[in-house]
Amino acid sequence: MVGVERIKLALVDYMIWLIIAGAFIFFSCTIPRFLTFKNVLFILYVAAPLGLLVFGEAVCLLGGNMDLSLSENAGFTAMIVGVMLVDWAPWLPGWTGIILMALVGAGLGAVNGFFVGKVKLNPFLVTLSTFLIYNWMTYYLRRGAIIKMPGALLIPGGGRIGGVFIAIPILIGMAIFLYFILDHTRFGSHIRAIGGNSDAANMLGINVGNTHFWIFTIAGALAGVAGLLYTGYLKCIPSTIAEGDIFLAFAGAIIGGVSLRGGRGSAIGALGGVLLMGVINAGCTMTAMEPALRGVLNGFILLAAILINKTRANLRDRILMPK
Amino acid sequence: MKLKKVKESKGAPLVKMEDIHKWYGKIHALKGMSFEVCPGEIVGLIGDNGAGKSTLIKILSGVLSKNRGKIYWKGEEVNVSSVKEARKLGIETVYQDQAVIGCLSVAQNIFMGRQPVKSWGPAKVLDKGKMRREAEKLARDLKLHIPSPNQEVRFCSGGEIQGVAISRAMYFKASLVILDEPTTALAVSGVQKVLSFITRLKSEVIASIFVTHNLHHVYSVADRFVVLSRGEKVADVKKEETSIEGLIELQLRKGVTVT
Repeated sequence: MVGVERIKLALVDYMIWLIIAGAFIFFSCTIPRFLTFKNVLFILYVAAPLGLLVFGEAVCLLGGNMDLSLSENAGFTAMIVGVMLVDWAPWLPGWTGIILMALVGAGLGAVNGFFVGKVKLNPFLVTLSTFLIYNWMTYYLRRGAIIKMPGALLIPGGGRIGGVFIAIPILIGMAIFLYFILDHTRFGSHIRAIGGNSDAANMLGINVGNTHFWIFTIAGALAGVAGLLYTGYLKCIPSTIAEGDIFLAFAGAIIGGVSLRGGRGSAIGALGGVLLMGVINAGCTMTAMEPALRGVLNGFILLAAILINKTRANLRDRILMPK
Repeated sequence: MKLKKVKESKGAPLVKMEDIHKWYGKIHALKGMSFEVCPGEIVGLIGDNGAGKSTLIKILSGVLSKNRGKIYWKGEEVNVSSVKEARKLGIETVYQDQAVIGCLSVAQNIFMGRQPVKSWGPAKVLDKGKMRREAEKLARDLKLHIPSPNQEVRFCSGGEIQGVAISRAMYFKASLVILDEPTTALAVSGVQKVLSFITRLKSEVIASIFVTHNLHHVYSVADRFVVLSRGEKVADVKKEETSIEGLIELQLRKGVTVT
């Protein structure tokens, strides 16, 4: 490929980062104190819990699936682990809660994986059911909030080391880890193959059902970690924790360039989606925009992202089309 | 109708299917089919739609399971219960819709399901460099005009996609390649390309089963023809014992099958 084409392709592929830079520069110019190290850290910190949900959704979408239950999974997981540490097994040391979060999340995700991958039910319907179940089970377990809990549970989502919130390396580390899995392992290539064309993947000897099962289990584990970060961020576990955030998780993945049709997109792109939403959110908060309007703005950003992704795909095709 | 027996050619058959039955619910799709292929042989499997061609080869390639009958591979009885197992034996299938993943690169498509990996500490990492190099070599060998192994398959022409599918068989040293209607969706130049792929396979002593209902495409390359009708074998003839007219007649006469 010629040099110019290569540059064009890179511009198209990494467009999200240009947009983030643009948004960042815009807010830096218009809002005093936006461009400070502290503020950048804070933007990342606020974005981290939702970010983990976005990663989970991105993994599902890459495999040609969708998971509507991820945010409720995060909330239910946090509530289960909270109640476990406070009521059911108070003798458990607090740090076990950190591991339990990921495990319980993975377990709840595996339920989806079982019904989609093994029983071959429609992923939309399965995860809609578990969305309702997990959502209301959270209320059933505790109406109100768990306020007193072992301090260790709050460290990953709220603690800092040397001024840096621990949630930030978790967010970025997870993006890098997922990039490695998706783009450099056989398993990751199977996820993309199934997302791209599951019939062909089956004929090529890839076990589609098993891969689906693991996709949902991994997404569930990511939701569990998200639950942990939400807990640390809020310093409590209310029964409304993470409720309804699935829509923003979808938005983040799509803004980050992950295709709804499966197979296309990357973990790093999804991180970009998280950051763009974080930057814009922070900018709006600092200008004291009305919260309701901020919600409206999220919708417009998603719409814009869909349009941009469409043109982006066309541009990309034009560059890649053999002459 | 007479069933012409094919004389045993030298050596054992590569694969032998014996008395294969397949039911889809109440429909008896294969009624005791027997079928064999010798090493390096090109067999044209012909018959109308619904004759049982697809069912037969899907059983051989591990996509479907048979209800009754035996399969022998190089003289040993085998149980081909999955695509993976078929591939392990050395049976590679080039499907009608070619089983390619459009959004992945040519190299990824050739190696999908059995990519080379290298160790990276405890982790096994895809060896992308090796895949690219090998894919480039295969494309050169097969004279595919693909600008780069990184090209996504959705930009390939029908003939090039066939080439990608055939590259799999060549690279992984298959000994039997099943081609399911490989020429149906192709332009004339694409058909020529596929026919040259098949003769290329023969020169490397790779047997192939060419499934088609277009006799004209298969006639020039095949060594032997097996004609199916309504789940039964109605003819099994060597090329020198028949003519294209004779085969057309056999195909048409299927209305009066042996009972």
